[in-house]
Amino acid sequence: MKALAITGNISAALGCSLARPDLIAAYPITPQSSVVEHLALLIAEGKLDSRIVHVESEHSAMSVLSGASLAGGRTFTATSSQGLALMYEPYFRVSTLRLPVIMPIACREMTSPSSIWCGQQDAMSVREAGWIQVYVENNQEILDMVIQGYKLAEDPDILLPMNICYDGFYLSHLVERVELPEQSQVDSFLPPFKQYDAKLDPDDPMAVDPLTEGSILMQYRMSHLAAMKRALTRVEEIDREYAQVFGRSYGGLVEGYRMEDAEIALVTIGSMTGTAREAIDQARSNGVRAGLVKVRFMRPFPAEALRNILAGVKAWAVVDRSVSFGWNCGPLFVETEAAICGSDLARNSSYFSAIGGLGGTDITLDLLLGLLKKVTGNKRQNGKMETVWLDENFLGRVE
Amino acid sequence: MNYLDVLSTKPDMLSPGISTCGGCAMEIALRRVLQIAGPNTVFSIPPGCAAGAGTMGWNFTNGVRIPVHISLLPNMGSMMTGVSQMYQRRGREEVNIIAFAGDGASADCGFQALSGAAERGERMLYICYDNEGYMNTGFQRSSTTTMGSLTSTTPAGSVTHGKAQAQKQLAFIMAMHRVEYVATLSPAYMKDFVDKVEKGLAASKRGFAFLHVYTPCPTGWHFAQDMAIQVARAGVKANITPLFEVEGGVWRQTVKNSRPIPVAEYAKLMKKYEGIDEETLARWQKSVDADADTLARLTK
Ligand SMILES: Cc1ncc(C[n+]2csc(CCOP(=O)(O)OP(=O)(O)O)c2C)c(N)n1
Ligand code: SF4
Ligand SMILES: [Mg+2]
Repeated sequence: MKALAITGNISAALGCSLARPDLIAAYPITPQSSVVEHLALLIAEGKLDSRIVHVESEHSAMSVLSGASLAGGRTFTATSSQGLALMYEPYFRVSTLRLPVIMPIACREMTSPSSIWCGQQDAMSVREAGWIQVYVENNQEILDMVIQGYKLAEDPDILLPMNICYDGFYLSHLVERVELPEQSQVDSFLPPFKQYDAKLDPDDPMAVDPLTEGSILMQYRMSHLAAMKRALTRVEEIDREYAQVFGRSYGGLVEGYRMEDAEIALVTIGSMTGTAREAIDQARSNGVRAGLVKVRFMRPFPAEALRNILAGVKAWAVVDRSVSFGWNCGPLFVETEAAICGSDLARNSSYFSAIGGLGGTDITLDLLLGLLKKVTGNKRQNGKMETVWLDENFLGRVE
Repeated sequence: MNYLDVLSTKPDMLSPGISTCGGCAMEIALRRVLQIAGPNTVFSIPPGCAAGAGTMGWNFTNGVRIPVHISLLPNMGSMMTGVSQMYQRRGREEVNIIAFAGDGASADCGFQALSGAAERGERMLYICYDNEGYMNTGFQRSSTTTMGSLTSTTPAGSVTHGKAQAQKQLAFIMAMHRVEYVATLSPAYMKDFVDKVEKGLAASKRGFAFLHVYTPCPTGWHFAQDMAIQVARAGVKANITPLFEVEGGVWRQTVKNSRPIPVAEYAKLMKKYEGIDEETLARWQKSVDADADTLARLTK
């Protein structure tokens, strides 16, 4: 085993390389660009045997992948914000054609106002496009989830594409220690790519995607949702299998940190989780029974896992790095609230949405400690409280 | 093989009963291309008349004997890049990779992906069938619609009448991508047509090959169903759709047209130019002459 000091983008590239893709296609965009630059270098140096297509847009990147996947190849691309928005048309189609493409998203704000910095608005906005989405905390998890991603996506019971979402700059450009698995370990963990239903091959001719009537289309959607449901279990199983081979487990759908006897809790997603762990530790050392729930998967949404892990908590807040424009809340909060609807937890605890870290602003330790104080103060209340914006004095308010 | 032998002996790959309008020239082009290419082919069509006519199919039935996928309107060039790259990676270079896309999908919405694939020299045969508009969505104008044409978005009115601009010369533009082979084809000149499809297929094994096929549309252009070949021939005679090829940087006019007919004569064959005024006719003639002049110099 080798340990490296690398950025999140290099970690994504190395994870891809270990998975031995047949074809890579991508278009540059900050903060993703160095993922594909590094893959191009590995290919140029003969260290990776893969085709690479230097496309003229993200729409084409995803389109090239769709064709290559239909022709039987393991594929990879990566993007951010505007690139993701441009590729929405083939992006949606890849999932509904059930093609197991892997695409990291180095999360970045959506323009306007013009911004190139971190925010999860890009990835969150496409969570209804049928892809599996995992949000990770650090650079090691990026590499591990690219490898696990192929195993999950290509499982014949799943066959869904997957995004590995990691915070732009905070992870994409931050150097961390990453353990690099041996190629032989990855080869034994990840079987070679196998093609199942949709294919383009003169030896087995078929029409992929004829015009289809609604009653059949509904069966497609039900089958897609059933695969998502099976993914809830497969995620946990693959996490355990991975731990056996590589010695690292991430807890599957959600990870609890010091939740055993927690009275108050923060629910986090992405790189802010690292800071939140420290905030929980400090609160604990001051005698507060605080815990942390790191949500890893947005799709499929881990509703049951969240209900279970939060059961018994008196007050909690969900921290989002993006907004839901239909609500004065973050999207993770909206979905968590939907998940607990009707449960004892909904009746017997108080909870609210916290929004912060937009456009690359830091979610600092101080902000999270202040947030924990606010949550602690709600311990004797019940029900949904007003949304809090994580600015210096928690004064931000949508009137 | 003589072109008549090709057409009379090779099996038909397209269902005899696909639902194009009667007398559709695109249907002739599609049937001939697939017949020449044969079964060892991966084929794709974007949204448009060619896909909508039952080629792609309905529910669990479809209209061709070969693997077929309906690409998105803007991504034919890139989607087929992925297919082509995988066939090369697997060492199956003998498989024909054929795209058959309308003018809207090629010259407008999918132009970027087409240009990208051509510039990269992806190995495929890309065929644009040009019915000079978005026929499948109801005869709207496209960038290859000719000047003065009445379409559903350039209708006849008291202020404007028909399309104001001349058509984009897609084959010229594709030739400037320095691809393996570029040619323009007409269903009215079948020997020339078969030769060029065969050349294009061969070239697609070395790099990008582009064919531009003029396919008059009786329904959208308003002419009788038995007139498509006559209209196609008149288009060539009027220099509106000249037949040429570009190979290894050498331009060659494959069907000479020493005594061109005026565009006004061509316009009379259909209602698409009904009510066109003298001034527009003159401007259109001028632009056709200018393009013919450019072609003459390139093919010298
Ligand atoms: C992104 C996108 N925009 C619009 C459409 C709607 N649409 C379907 S077919 C078509 C016209 C295609 O025109 P062309 O490529 O010339 O083919 P034709 O119908 O003339 O055969 C349009 C606009 C679409 N399918 N996708
Ligand atoms: S509208 Fe025109 S191009 Fe389309 S099927 Fe009918 S005749 Fe052919
Ligand atoms: Mg058209």
